[in-house]
Amino acid sequence: MSWFAGLLIGLQEIREHKFRSFLTMLGVILGVASLLAMFGLTAGIASSWRTTMQQMGGLERIGVIDAEVSLELADLAALSPGRTLADAEALRASSRFISHVSPEMQTGATLSATDGATITGRITGAWPDNLVVSQHEVQSGRFITPLDVERGSRVVVLGSTAARDLWPSEPEADRVGRTITINGRPFTVAGILVHYQREEDRQRNLRRGSTSPGSQRGGSVSLAGGRGMGGARRDPFQWKNNSIIVPLTTFYHEFRSGTEDAAPLAMAKIDQLNFRVRDLSHFREALDEASSVLRQAHRGIDDYGFDTREDWFDRMETSLRATQLSGGLIAGVSLLVGGIGIANIMLASIAQRVRELGVRLAVGARRRDIFLQILAESTVIGVLGGFLGLGAGVLLLKLLGAIAPMDNPPVVELSAILISVGFATVVGVLSGLYPAWRASNLDPISALRYE
Amino acid sequence: MAVVELSGVHKIYGTGPDPVAALDGVDLRIDAGEYVAITGTSGSGKSTLMHIVGCLDTPTSGSVMIAGEDISSARTDRLARLRNRSIGFVFQSFNLLPRLDVQKNIELPLVYSGVTARDRRNRAREAAEKVNLTTRLTHRPSELSGGQCQRVAIARALVNDPALILADEPTGNLDSTNGAEVLRLFDELHASGRTIVLVTHDPAVAARAGRRVELRDGRVIRDGRT
Repeated sequence: MSWFAGLLIGLQEIREHKFRSFLTMLGVILGVASLLAMFGLTAGIASSWRTTMQQMGGLERIGVIDAEVSLELADLAALSPGRTLADAEALRASSRFISHVSPEMQTGATLSATDGATITGRITGAWPDNLVVSQHEVQSGRFITPLDVERGSRVVVLGSTAARDLWPSEPEADRVGRTITINGRPFTVAGILVHYQREEDRQRNLRRGSTSPGSQRGGSVSLAGGRGMGGARRDPFQWKNNSIIVPLTTFYHEFRSGTEDAAPLAMAKIDQLNFRVRDLSHFREALDEASSVLRQAHRGIDDYGFDTREDWFDRMETSLRATQLSGGLIAGVSLLVGGIGIANIMLASIAQRVRELGVRLAVGARRRDIFLQILAESTVIGVLGGFLGLGAGVLLLKLLGAIAPMDNPPVVELSAILISVGFATVVGVLSGLYPAWRASNLDPISALRYE
Repeated sequence: MAVVELSGVHKIYGTGPDPVAALDGVDLRIDAGEYVAITGTSGSGKSTLMHIVGCLDTPTSGSVMIAGEDISSARTDRLARLRNRSIGFVFQSFNLLPRLDVQKNIELPLVYSGVTARDRRNRAREAAEKVNLTTRLTHRPSELSGGQCQRVAIARALVNDPALILADEPTGNLDSTNGAEVLRLFDELHASGRTIVLVTHDPAVAARAGRRVELRDGRVIRDGRT
């Protein structure tokens, strides 16, 4: 007798005892459902966290930050010019392990479109490298070019939300080429950035047929960024979508020079300095390189530090692992109980069918045929329980979502489905082994006599 | 040609100081085409003899040849194959599987001999024809009368074309009309050349067979024509 014939007999048994079989499966169903829900929740968290991470520049992005000067150098701290554009130039010049350097100057400003609205926002003066370091993507038009920086052109690149706010009445129009004023000075819109959103939100919006950025139900990045706690429904990439970017030189000439300390451009203070590592496998080398370049530029004063995403990454991974482990443990216990349930019912069902097994033996079933039949039956119960558990798991996630809307919508990955059903199958097989062994060792004569 | 050949067969149950000899030196030869009744009172050893002839059990000592194969010390898988290919059982209580329909019940031995589904269907139908049950193939045993059930069981015993049909009190659970019908069926099978061994305590049933073997205390005390 083949496995297949055994499966058919197993299915038949289950059809004959639907309710009993369902009760038998219940443990497996719950186990698989909780396993799937756990996978879904953690995958959801991980996914939105990864997207956020990516949008912030990924692991390759390193920020240069101000740091406490060490005690023995404290007296000399004033010698250091601090973070200036010279730092950026120096970093760019020694670029063995550093691929892109992006200095930024920032200030608040008032923007207004002659044919639209007036808004206030934060404008950034940047280099073309900002496109890569800040992981920007241009929707239409172009980004800041080296020529813009060289000439100090009055061009501006707008984030999608900023653009929408400037021309609220025409959400779909192409704004490239239009003129706006920033603090009263005219600028030409050179490009519009794409609307940044999480993958789930993007798909949800696509399903709705809506591309309007404001209509999405954005979540906070509570776990990802450690902020926005409380589950406020907002755009997680608001900071990016509100970008207003002009060439750094333009920024300096229009908004910096003429102010109180008016350092020359090369020594102008910058508000942010980020760079991108060429290759993650040379992360350390890149840090060392940047450190030596900066030490020279800062005249040996260690008033700078590096902000990397590594620690963040590690913390996140650890907490995900912990969640998965505890969830997996609960699911595992549930599956174990389910397996014991299957074994128990199989033993009872064998006791009920001793006579039938005796007849099968009498007409020529070998021990292994009986073994396979019982094993196939418990496997079918396990697999079926697994599939029902998948359904229950999806329902559970929907229910959780309805009761407590989540910032990180759960993601059901194929691997989670395969693992869950795989576990259910293994439980089905394992729990059938002992009953199958018992059944296959029946003595045909006493089995035939059994009342 | 001998279908069954037993010589010096002992079957001893229990070990230690007080073993019981269910069979105490049995010699028996049954040739192809014979119709043999094995009789005896309860405890005479006829059930044990039937189990050994039916390859459900092996003797403690002595030699047993069934359909040309020595099973004296055969392992369980070989016994199972012999039961499957060479022996058709008919039991007192029919022993049909209640959840399978008539067709599937008749097919059962073929499932274990690796016959394809289509061949199983055809052969089950042929066997059903021999017992006049072709109109009941989709019924379940619970929907049939006792006589019909026993005919299904006989069809199941025939389906693998065995060398030997082994019937254990086949009329024991039937009224006289149905019992007579089953015995008539055996007569027909015998007439068509089948080898039949029928175990019974009923002298009237035994009288239908051409040869009667009587056991007492594990020994053959009478063997001759009826």
